[in-house]
Order: sequence, then C-alpha cells, then structure tokens
Amino acid sequence: MATTKVPEVRDITRIERIGAHSHIRGLGLDDALEPRQVSQGMVGQLASRRAAGIILEMIKDGHIAGRAVLIAGQPGTGKTAIAMGIAQSLGPDTPFTALAGSEIFSLEMSKTEALSQAFRKAIGVRIKEETEIIEGEVVEIQIDRPATGTGAKVGKLTLKTTEMETIYDLGNKMIDSLSKEKVQAGDVITIDKATGKISKLGRSFTRARDYDAMGAQTQFVQCPEGELQKRKEVVHTVSLHEIDVINSRTQGFLALFSGDTGEIKSEVREQINAKVCEWREEGKAEIIPGVLFIDEVHMLDMECFSFLNRALESDLSPVLIMATNRGITRIRGTNYQSPHGIPIDLLDRLLIIATSPYSEKETRQILKIRCEEEDVDLSEEAHTVLTRIGMETSLRYAIQLISTAGLVCRKRKGTEVQVEDIKRVYSLFLDEARSSQYMKEYQDSFLFNETQTGSMDTS
Amino acid sequence: MAVQNWIDVLKSSKKTALIHDGKRKIHYLFTDGKEMSEEYDLKTDELIVRKWRHKSTLGAHGQWEVEVGEPLAGPVNSSDSEVIKENCSNPVFMRKDTKTSFQWRIRNLPYPKDVFSVSVEPSDRCIIIKTSNKKYYKKFNITDLDRSQLPLDNSALSFTHANNTLIVSYKKPKETLTLEQELLKELKKLKGSGEGDVDCKTQ
Repeated sequence: MATTKVPEVRDITRIERIGAHSHIRGLGLDDALEPRQVSQGMVGQLASRRAAGIILEMIKDGHIAGRAVLIAGQPGTGKTAIAMGIAQSLGPDTPFTALAGSEIFSLEMSKTEALSQAFRKAIGVRIKEETEIIEGEVVEIQIDRPATGTGAKVGKLTLKTTEMETIYDLGNKMIDSLSKEKVQAGDVITIDKATGKISKLGRSFTRARDYDAMGAQTQFVQCPEGELQKRKEVVHTVSLHEIDVINSRTQGFLALFSGDTGEIKSEVREQINAKVCEWREEGKAEIIPGVLFIDEVHMLDMECFSFLNRALESDLSPVLIMATNRGITRIRGTNYQSPHGIPIDLLDRLLIIATSPYSEKETRQILKIRCEEEDVDLSEEAHTVLTRIGMETSLRYAIQLISTAGLVCRKRKGTEVQVEDIKRVYSLFLDEARSSQYMKEYQDSFLFNETQTGSMDTS
Repeated sequence: MAVQNWIDVLKSSKKTALIHDGKRKIHYLFTDGKEMSEEYDLKTDELIVRKWRHKSTLGAHGQWEVEVGEPLAGPVNSSDSEVIKENCSNPVFMRKDTKTSFQWRIRNLPYPKDVFSVSVEPSDRCIIIKTSNKKYYKKFNITDLDRSQLPLDNSALSFTHANNTLIVSYKKPKETLTLEQELLKELKKLKGSGEGDVDCKTQ
C-alpha cells in the first residue's frame, strides 16, 4: 500500500460502535488552512474542505453571528462528513447541534418552536457556578461484583487529605467511570458531586517511590489539605436552551404534576436573553456562538425558511450549516421551483459550498480508511474490485460491502478479504441500479404492481 | 449596627407561619430570592430546624441545606445512588442549639477525647476541629454570628466527648440572645396559628 499504516490507539474499556462517519476526526487542514489530500479521515474535496476551514475559523472567532452556509452536492460526496469534520475540530466546548430536516415535524410542538429550540441549543454560555467537589488522594478502592455475574455492583472508595479520611459508597455509574479512568490507590482525584465527573490530577508524592509501570506523562502532586469536600467555582458551558428549560419548569409542588417542558414561552426566552446580556456586561458570562447543522434541509417547508430568515438576524444566533443533495426542485409547502428547494431570498444569504463526486483514487482511499475503521483486511485485488464497484454503483454501496465481505471471509476462516468474498456479497446484495433493473424485469409478479408511479415524489 | 441589619432583613422578608405537630414552622422569603425555613418547639421555644434554599445562578431551585437540626433523610432517589455518597459509618455533623449556646454534635467518632483539638480561627471567622490521628477535620462558620457580624471568641468555646459523639459548644453572646428573644416575640405575633393547612403565599 502507498501510505504507511498509522497504528490507532483504541480505548478497550469502552466499546464503541462504528458509525457511518466515525472515521472522521477533523477537516484535515494544516495551519495555513490548506487541505491535505488525506488527513483526519477526510479524502479529496479539497476546495470544499478549504471553504469549510474558513467557516471554522469564523466560528472559532465567535464575532460574527447569524451566518449561514449551505453544503450542496450529489449524494455520497461527503457533505455530512464535512459537517462532522467541523464539529470534531470545534472541540467539546463549542456547542454543535445536528438535526435532520425532518426532525422538526413533531406533533408535540410547532415547527418554529422546534427550530428555535435547536437554535438555542447551539448557543453556549460559559458561566461560573459554585459546585461541591470532593478532592482527595485515593487510599483504597473496593469493588464487589455479585457472584452470579449479574446485578448491581457495590463499591467503596476511601479518600484522604492530609487531615482527614472518608469512606464513600459508590453507585454503578461511579464504578464504571472509576474503572474507565483507571483510578487506583495513590491517585489524587476530584469528583464533581452533582454530576459525578471524575478528573485525575496526578499521583501523590508519597507514591513516587513505587516504580509502577507508569507513563511518561504521569504527574506528581501533593496530597490535598483540609477538608475533602470543598465548594469550588467552576466554569462550565450550558446552552441557552438548557437555561430556558430550567427556568420554564413549574416550580414548587406543582412540578410534580407537570410533564416535560414542551413549548417554552417567549416571555421566558426574552427574560433569559436579557439576563444573559446582563451577565455578559458584568463579565460574569461569555457567549459562545456554536453551530447548528441541519441535514436534508430541503425537508423544511416555506414557514421554516421564513423563520430562518428572521432568526438569522438576531445577534444571539449561531452559525447555521445546512446540507442538501437536491437540485432545482419544488420548495416544500409551495408550488414554486427553486434551486436546492430553498427560497431565493434565503439562498441569497447563504455561502454555498459545493462538493463534487470523488475520483477513482479518492474512492480507493476512502474505502481503505473505512476498512481500517471496520477492522477488515482487504487484499490488493479485492481493494481494486471494490473501488470499481464504488465507482460504478455508489460509494455507500461499496462501503456496505466491506463489513459483509469481512464476515464472509471470517466464516470461511480466511484472514484477508479476497476477490471471491467481494464477488459473493456482490451477488448476494443488490445495489440500487441492479435492484431497479430487477424491478423492471419482474414487476408483474410483485404485489400491487398496478400502481405505476413514474418516480418517487421526494420533495 | 450590624445586628440591626440582620433584624431589618428578617423584618422585610415575607413570612408565613403555621403550627403543626407541636412545632411552630416559619417560612421566610427574602428579597434576593433566598428562602429560609425554621421550626420551633411550641413548649420550650427551642429552635429545632433551620434550613436554607438558594437559587443557582442559572435560576434553578437548589436543595434545602440544613443549618440547624437533623440532616434531611428524604427518600433515596435512584439517581442519587447512581453517583456517590458518604458511607453511613462516617462521622455525621449536625448543629443542635440550646437556649444559651450554639452546639454542634458529630456522631460516629470512636476515638478518645485527647485525639481532638477544637480551636477558633478569628481571621477566617470559623471553628476548626482537628484529629491527631488524621481521621477527621472540619472547618465551619457560626452562621448566626456571621449574619450579625459579631466577633468570635476562643473563651466561649468548649467541647466534650461521650458515646462516640463529640459535642462542641459555643456560648451565645448577649447580642444574639436579645435578637433571638425579639425575633421570637415577633414570630408569636404572626397569625396562622390554626392547625392544618394554611395558604402559603410565598409559593
């Protein structure tokens, strides 16, 4: 293979499922925002990635509110991948809300309410809050698993400071996160009492002489002093929507009778906006405009588009990224045709990034990345065959064949997927074109074949 | 005067009183959104419970924080047991006042008396309990004195140990005693003396 294989460090304690875009770790740009051909799971689409990089910088600066970006391109050209790349590069502190256009059609709340909630989820507020934390050195962790293997685990944690010692009972969630963080005796840790979040500060100096197998990055810290439980001011990010929900809940004993929040009154929102602005002026809080990503944006209808127009004008609005794979089509809720199914006045406000179909070389690269992600070894010939399939049918179909072929290969006790395995699954599973072909030939023998619609109405 | 200050704050708060279970229960709602709830014994007029509730910065209601009296033993929520809590064998700290002194009791301390040392830290306005075997340490304020901004005095402090319980006492200063008497007189004037449910205007 052309490029060297980078060994991946996998977290074994947490089992991760492999999603369609789980191989994407960023946009794959260098410091000058120049896209690398293959990087961070991204392949090709150089111009679009560069454009996305500029948008990313704009989001990181956080000065400009209410910009909207449209990623348009054929199916399977990496629109969602680019959006995921942006989300990954933003890091955990910038809110990134993703939704599909069809998600806003709910019986529980109106479309505009769903959209405003999504907008407010994408705006973060960094604020100081006092929380109770436990800070101490681990003396002992004791976890008892029930003999039957099932049922709740019971755990005890002994923590100390220079002055005192306390035993804590652990809940199931706590036991899991302690073992995930690999906390052991001698570590100095803090636990957020409300959320149960654990952070390791380092190892205690008193344990410096045990020559354990420890990484180079192990830090030694002093055992904390004084009381184990302290009140500390911590800075954390909450979204405007979360503040809305907290304040719109019925308070007092009536809260027992009210169910979920449903729609949030606009007065509550206005109050909160005023409060947040006040905090910002006093320097207590900082507003982090995040990203709202609406996939399949052509599913929105005319009212939603006009709502978006207005919502983008607010100075508390996030950067809106939309993606669509439609060409000139009917705007939902009207009889007008428009490019991407989006009204012209909204299109006028958008920065449009186009994605183009992948070349054969790029398809090959993507398939290779997916093989690594799905832990399937592919022989050189099989890789070539699969690339051909990807070019002739679709990239998504070819990616589907990877894990199925991997399974076929494992069943015949092979270690590397050969051309035969690919052929086998290719014959077992039809791609879209062959399926349509089959339909045309045999439609008479199917049920309800007299309903002859020309093409599917998807607008 | 600082003592006067606190009286004024109390007077300006919205008060709701009710008598139930042989206790006089008073709920205060202060202008800044804080809530205080007190319970007095009807016969002896001793303070049994005083607890506080603050609103968090984001506007959510917090939990009741007990200042005086038994810690709340509410039903155990499943979400509580999910995370972390103190083992029941740990020392339990609570305040229980008498007429003439503030008193704190710490149960579950099975060590001899000479292990403990209790001192006043006037600069930090707090009392510190230390143990020479490094098992227990506690730093706490006398909230009543903080509110009235009265100084702390080492000579008013004493402690005893019996039945695995450490009892720390601090003699109430004159100012506090007069304040409490005055407050009690005021509270007795509040209506809502009937048994049973009373409309709580503050909720």
